[in-house]
Amino acid sequence: MPRITVDGEIIEVPDGRTILQALDDVGLLMNGVDIPHYCWHPKLSIDGSCRLCQVEVEGIPKLQIACNTSVQEGMAIRTDTERVRKAREGVMELLLVNHPLDCPICDQAGECKLQDYAYEYGVEASRTREPRRALKKNVDLGSTIKFDQERCILCRRCVRFCSEIPGTGELRVFNRGDASVIDVHPDFPLENDYSMNVADICPVGALTTQDFRFKIRVWFLEDAPGICTGCSNGCNVHIGVANNKVYRYVPRRNDDVNDTWICDSGRMSYKQIGGGARLKEAGVRGEAGRLENTGYEAAVREAAKRLRSMIEEHGADSVVVLASAHATNEDLFTLRRLSDGLGAGADGVAVVQGKSDALLIKADKAANAAGARALGFGPAGPVLDRIRDGRAKAAIVLGHDLLDESHLGGTEALEGLDLLIVLDVQQSALHKVADVVIPVRHAAEKYGTLTNHAGRVQRVEPAVEPAWEAWSDGEVLTLMGQALGLEGFEDGYDPAKISEWMSERVSAFAGVHLRVVGDQGRPLPGERA
Amino acid sequence: MVISDETRSKIDAEIGNFPQRRGALLPALHLVHKDHGYVSTDVAKELAEIFEINPIDVMEVVSFYNLFYDRPQPRHHAHVCTNLPCSLRGARSLLRRLESHFGVRAGEATPDGKLVLGHEECLGACAYAPMMRVDDTYFEDLDFEKAKTILDGLE
Repeated sequence: MPRITVDGEIIEVPDGRTILQALDDVGLLMNGVDIPHYCWHPKLSIDGSCRLCQVEVEGIPKLQIACNTSVQEGMAIRTDTERVRKAREGVMELLLVNHPLDCPICDQAGECKLQDYAYEYGVEASRTREPRRALKKNVDLGSTIKFDQERCILCRRCVRFCSEIPGTGELRVFNRGDASVIDVHPDFPLENDYSMNVADICPVGALTTQDFRFKIRVWFLEDAPGICTGCSNGCNVHIGVANNKVYRYVPRRNDDVNDTWICDSGRMSYKQIGGGARLKEAGVRGEAGRLENTGYEAAVREAAKRLRSMIEEHGADSVVVLASAHATNEDLFTLRRLSDGLGAGADGVAVVQGKSDALLIKADKAANAAGARALGFGPAGPVLDRIRDGRAKAAIVLGHDLLDESHLGGTEALEGLDLLIVLDVQQSALHKVADVVIPVRHAAEKYGTLTNHAGRVQRVEPAVEPAWEAWSDGEVLTLMGQALGLEGFEDGYDPAKISEWMSERVSAFAGVHLRVVGDQGRPLPGERA
Repeated sequence: MVISDETRSKIDAEIGNFPQRRGALLPALHLVHKDHGYVSTDVAKELAEIFEINPIDVMEVVSFYNLFYDRPQPRHHAHVCTNLPCSLRGARSLLRRLESHFGVRAGEATPDGKLVLGHEECLGACAYAPMMRVDDTYFEDLDFEKAKTILDGLE
């Protein structure tokens, strides 16, 4: 490993890397060593076109671009000398020659690298008198992205992204020299499963997402760390929150999971958090056959009471438990203990399958399918069989994935049950047949961990508070356990404690729990990821 | 198929001359240009299939080079050199007079689709300045009357 000197500090870096890559590898880039850059991106090929990352390298007369200069043993770099500063000022002046200074109406303002570096290195007034380029504005590149050609500084990150990551290559540079523009072929718009990432990597306001643009100024947003719940890949995200409302997901870098990307459908899954389809009221089916709102805790207690009388009448074997792969490990560990404590006839987990690809999108359309399986929840089949053939009289169901075509395909089979207790985040047809309905929290509203497809355990924490009463599944199940007089529910539901207990009790989770997984997650013992 | 069999076989022969298949894209563009005068989106799609690339890759190359066109062109291109030696010998006023003669500005086509008038960078004929290029032919030692006669005489 070569040792290089950066601004007087000696650091050891990996061999065969360029200066920016090496600094990124050791976690120093923009985190101790600030070398401004536009075209270079850690997950894309090197372009070397923006010229902003120039640094002084001892022994080389001219300034070198840090993105494309390989590190060598004994290399000495200076990143903040007068000469470097002058060069950056010159580059910034050229980059700004054609840029419309329309920050007040540009949605990128506040998270714009051009704005940041113009503030740091820019000159106060333009010296050019020539008219700026008049180009396409407000163009739809596809269904997800708006394009402003005038704001583009031609760093070509988006072009390289489309060619290298999804491999679809919709974007290209047309014309040449000072007439260069980015564009799509008129017959082949920017449509791929990862298209919205180009808005994240665009350092300026040229590419913005149709979904987020003009919704809110970014300086009003707070970024909460979270995990995308769209599929079992568990992509890390920043949840953009203002006034207790989620405005967007943007990918959070995790080189072991999603690099710096997220798929479009995952990105849009934030809408489930605050959407109109959320289940907001607890309900108990009364004499008249209607769901009545009896208050939250009362509904949980009523569920336990009815469950107890079912067990007394038909035996615990008549109860089936169906887990949701959307719940956290801690929720499901609580459900596991409840199921075992009751001696339920069967339990399992319903997972909806969907499309997958080789990049990020996984077939299991729930964030914690692997966690549910690690906690002993097998396929839903045996549970559903018992419901269909009438052996099951009562069911505790988390989520509504059992309604999917691949499972029950409807509520008909459930009508034979004497007692159906549903804990769900969303409204569904299940509520027409359920006897007790209890709204629970989304993964972005609670503490806990999720296990992704590769067995990586990742933390979630509350980014927003539901505006209605809702507990996490684990909390509801704990109260039910208490009301049923089962062992192990006396201490209530503290996700961190439950997580630690789970890591002691369940060998699959040995040593891995909420307090130790950190913000990049940790693989389960025996898993490579 | 928009590309003729004859041109197609010439393209296939060119492909053999390059280590990478797509290396022959430039000669292929010259060949289709000779047939059609421009590269239509249909031609670009066919070329993309031949070279196993995206149509947009073909259009990117077409847009990069000034002498490839992506839309139908007037019958003739008349370009007056306006670099320094030609300008010193009156190229700019020559171009201005041609503009008013044809009633178009440099870069525009005449309404009858006969020719497009334009200016061009140095073509290496400075000793015979001012000069213009009409399609593939150089006309040198020009004055307005000479240039007008040449251009008026075009089909």
